[in-house]
Amino acid sequence: MADGFVIETADLRKTYDGVEALRGLTLQVPAGSICGFLGRNGAGKTTTIKILLGMARPTSGRARVFGLPADRPEPSVEIRRRTGFVSEDKDLYDGMTVDEMIRYTRGFYPRWRVDLEQRYLRAFDLPAARKVKALSRGMRTKLALLLAFSRGADLLILDEPTSGLDPVVTEEVLQAIVSHVARAEMSVFFSSHQIGEVDQIADHVAIVERGQVAVAGGLDDLRERYCRIQLVFDREAPEPVLRTPGVVRIRRDGRVLSVLSGAGAAGILDEVRPLGPLSTEVVPVTLKEIFLETVKAED
Amino acid sequence: MIWYKSWLDTRSRFLVGLVLLVLSALGTVFYYPQVLKLIPMANSIEASGELGRRIREGAQLSSSFRGYVWAQWMRQAMTNLATLFAVLLGAGGLFSRASGDSALYALSMPASRDRVLGVRAVTGLAELAAMAVIPVILLPLLSPGVGEHYSVVDALVHGACLFVAAATFFSLALLLSTVFTDLWRPLLIACGVAIAMSLYEAVLRGQSRYGIFRVMSGEDYFRTGHLPWLGLFASAIASAAMLYTATRTLARQDF
Repeated sequence: MADGFVIETADLRKTYDGVEALRGLTLQVPAGSICGFLGRNGAGKTTTIKILLGMARPTSGRARVFGLPADRPEPSVEIRRRTGFVSEDKDLYDGMTVDEMIRYTRGFYPRWRVDLEQRYLRAFDLPAARKVKALSRGMRTKLALLLAFSRGADLLILDEPTSGLDPVVTEEVLQAIVSHVARAEMSVFFSSHQIGEVDQIADHVAIVERGQVAVAGGLDDLRERYCRIQLVFDREAPEPVLRTPGVVRIRRDGRVLSVLSGAGAAGILDEVRPLGPLSTEVVPVTLKEIFLETVKAED
Repeated sequence: MIWYKSWLDTRSRFLVGLVLLVLSALGTVFYYPQVLKLIPMANSIEASGELGRRIREGAQLSSSFRGYVWAQWMRQAMTNLATLFAVLLGAGGLFSRASGDSALYALSMPASRDRVLGVRAVTGLAELAAMAVIPVILLPLLSPGVGEHYSVVDALVHGACLFVAAATFFSLALLLSTVFTDLWRPLLIACGVAIAMSLYEAVLRGQSRYGIFRVMSGEDYFRTGHLPWLGLFASAIASAAMLYTATRTLARQDF
């Protein structure tokens, strides 16, 4: 694996009929991490995943998985051999039964884990003889997860794994992902627009907006780096031009000036001190705030 | 497992086609005694023009069992049904959204697109070969039942002509299925092409020496005992070219 990254993209671009879905997406997912790929609908999450799995070809740029080029047919087959994938719509073969679906998928994977297959069949309470088209959305998601988990994969790519699920099944699915990854040495790359679930299970995050990665890094590192500096003035808050690197967004609201920093508070505090604020407060920010502020900044 | 999925995707179309062709072969053989009784009546009908020519030709050909089988079945029912089912077998596929499955699951499997399409093509062609050979092989087996004889060699030659020519329509439908994501456009366009070619051959009989339906029915072999090598070769080349184009089209496609 190149440089310890399971997924690497560099200046990845994809245009569909003149519409730019990806605009120079550069991303690195460390091996062994659970990386949440966070973004609004239409931000480019699914397009990125399709390129990584060889389902779509990049217009330009580079995409590598396990160090293999994703846009070349033969390496792409090897990538898929080592990757478990669950699509957003949980695409499966409706005409097959659960058991047929398992046997069909098993045939492609030499490292198929029968023990995991049996464990998840029981844990998810999946009816082996039922046709896939007769499964509820929750059951369908669980079957898709079983098929992805049992492949003996080194990487799981999950595209909005909990979309359309009720809160109970969502929790079950997230717990299943976490407990599976805890037992196996693998990486997980999952897209979502649910900040809560990324916060719950991911240790890395990449926020994508308009086809570009706006923020990326370890979740703990982001929480350390990102903070909000609240300054209260005895007059209308000034409109400062801050030159310190890392300023994500500045907001003025009456006497209050709020600065979101992505590179700690020290440099900004030094820069705003001459403005003479009455009080200065540095508060931690949540992933939700980072996401929302990043997205708004891009707007 | 791709073979298994490919079989699952096409088996209903294949089995329906096979049953219809077998029934049509059975009907053709066992109806012959009735036809023999009608031949004197056909000779007494006075009709001019193309209609008269066809009646006289039909009556003349039907005076022998071999001629009757060719004129009534191989030239008409068999070629029409084989064309229709060749198109039906070619339309849709493992990556097609037409089959009710999204393509993404198939695409997430560790198999190249070339391999998946290749398996799909071979499965369809094998089914088409079975549809071409099984009904014709029934002719020598069943003809003693009506006191007639039909040569096994003739049956196999006609089956081979039928398969090679019908494979062109199969390949066309498969190619169109890599261009369009729905089932209907490949079906309608391929059927439209078949109808246009059939009309061309019907209207310009003199210039249709190498027409695909003439090759499919084995007319040259029936009339002269010689295989239509040029027509068979052209059909095979056209099929191969369309299948190759299908693989290239699929390789470039985004899902």
